[in-house]
Amino acid sequence: MNKILLVLTPAIIAAIIFLVPPIKGLGDLAKIIFFHVPTAWVAVAAFFTSAFFAAKFLRTQNFSFDTLSARAARLGFVFVLLSTISGAIFSKLTWGAYWNWDPRQTTIFVLILIYGAYLTLRAAVADEKIRAKVSAVYSLLSVLTVPFLVFILPRMYFSLHPSPVLNSAGRIEMDSVVLIVLIAAVVDATLIFVRLMKR
Amino acid sequence: MINWKKRSVMKSFGFRCEQIVAILRKDFLIGLRRRATFAAMMMFALTATASLSLSTGGTFLEPKILAALLWVVIFFAASAGISGTFDDEAQAGTLPTLKLYADAQAILFGKMIYVLLSLVALTIFILPIFLILFDVGVANFSLLLTTIFFGLVGLSAAGTLTAALTTSAAVKGGLFPILLFPVTLPIFLPAIQLTELSLTGATFEFGLIVVVIIFDAILITASSILYDYL
Repeated sequence: MNKILLVLTPAIIAAIIFLVPPIKGLGDLAKIIFFHVPTAWVAVAAFFTSAFFAAKFLRTQNFSFDTLSARAARLGFVFVLLSTISGAIFSKLTWGAYWNWDPRQTTIFVLILIYGAYLTLRAAVADEKIRAKVSAVYSLLSVLTVPFLVFILPRMYFSLHPSPVLNSAGRIEMDSVVLIVLIAAVVDATLIFVRLMKR
Repeated sequence: MINWKKRSVMKSFGFRCEQIVAILRKDFLIGLRRRATFAAMMMFALTATASLSLSTGGTFLEPKILAALLWVVIFFAASAGISGTFDDEAQAGTLPTLKLYADAQAILFGKMIYVLLSLVALTIFILPIFLILFDVGVANFSLLLTTIFFGLVGLSAAGTLTAALTTSAAVKGGLFPILLFPVTLPIFLPAIQLTELSLTGATFEFGLIVVVIIFDAILITASSILYDYL
C-alpha cells in the first residue's frame, strides 16, 4: 500500500497543478477544492469508523477496538481541521467571506466540536477501562446528530454550498478531467486514512 | 450485562415504576438537604441574565437575538446544575449498591425525571425575570411554553447520560457543556427558531416542533440503551 501511495499522491498533485484547467475567474488557489473535498470525505468517514469500532468495543469489551476507535477519532480531528480551513479559503474565493454559517459549515463545525469533545473526554478520564467505555458511549451518542445535520438542517437554512458530485438530480455536472482527478484524490485520501489506521 | 437485561424483562412494569419513583424521591430528598447545587444553578441563570441585560441595556434587541440569549442562559445554567447528577453516588461509592437494589434503567429514568423537574423549576424562576429585564413582549405564550418544555425534555435526557459519562473525569466543570452541546444541537436550533416565532407571533411551522419531539424521543431511547453499557 505504501508503494501505491508513493506513486498515486505525487501523480494526483501533478495532475491538479498541470492537467486540470484553471477555474474561470477564481485563479489557481481555487484548486484547493481538490484538497477540500477528499479531506472532508475522510473526516466524515473517520467519524463513522470511530463510532463503528466504539460499538464493536461495547459488544466485545475487546480493548483493541477502543484503540482503533480512538485512532480514527484522532485522525478524523486532523482531517476535519484541514477540510475546514481549505473550505474556508475556497469560500472566501467564491462567496467572498471565510465564514457565514452555511449549513455545510455548521455541519463541519459541529463535527469539529464532537471530535474535540471526544478527545477531551478521553484526556480527562484516567482509568483505562472507564475511559474506553465512556468514550465509546459518547461516540455513539454523537452519531445521533447526523440525521439532523444531513436531513433537517439544510431544510431550515438556505445553502450556497454546491451539491455533492452525485447530486439529487443524478447528473454529474463536471468536466470529465476534473471529475477523474477529484475521484482519484478522494481514493488517495481514503487510502492514506486506511494506511494510518493500520499503523 | 445480559443477566441484567433478562432480569429487567422479567420485572413487571409496575415494579419498574415503583423503583423510578423511589430514586426520584431519594434524589429529591438529597436535593432538599443539599440546596447548594440548586441555588448555584438559579444564581448562575440570574447572573447571566442580569449581565446580558445590563450590558445591552437600552438597546433594542431583535426577537432572534433574545431567543438565542434565552437558550444560552438555560443551557449553561442547566450545565452548572445537572453536571453533578451522579456525583453523590460516585463520591460515596454507592452507585454499585444502588444498582443492586434497583435496575440500571430505573436509576437512569429516576435521575432523568429529577433533572427534568429541576430544569422546569429553573425555567419557572428565570423566564419571568428574563422577560421583565429584557422587556420582551410574548405574542404566543403557549408556543413559548411548549417549546421550552420539549427543549428541556431533550436536555435532561442527553444531560443525564452525559453526567454519567463525566462522573469519573478529572476536569468536570468545563467538560460537561463541551460534551452536551453538540449532542443537543438538533434540539436547540429548532427550539431557538420556535422561541423567536413565539415572540414575534408569526405563523409557526408545525414541523419544527415535530423535529424537537422526535429528537427528544431519539435521545431518551439512546440514553436508555447506552446507559446499560456503562
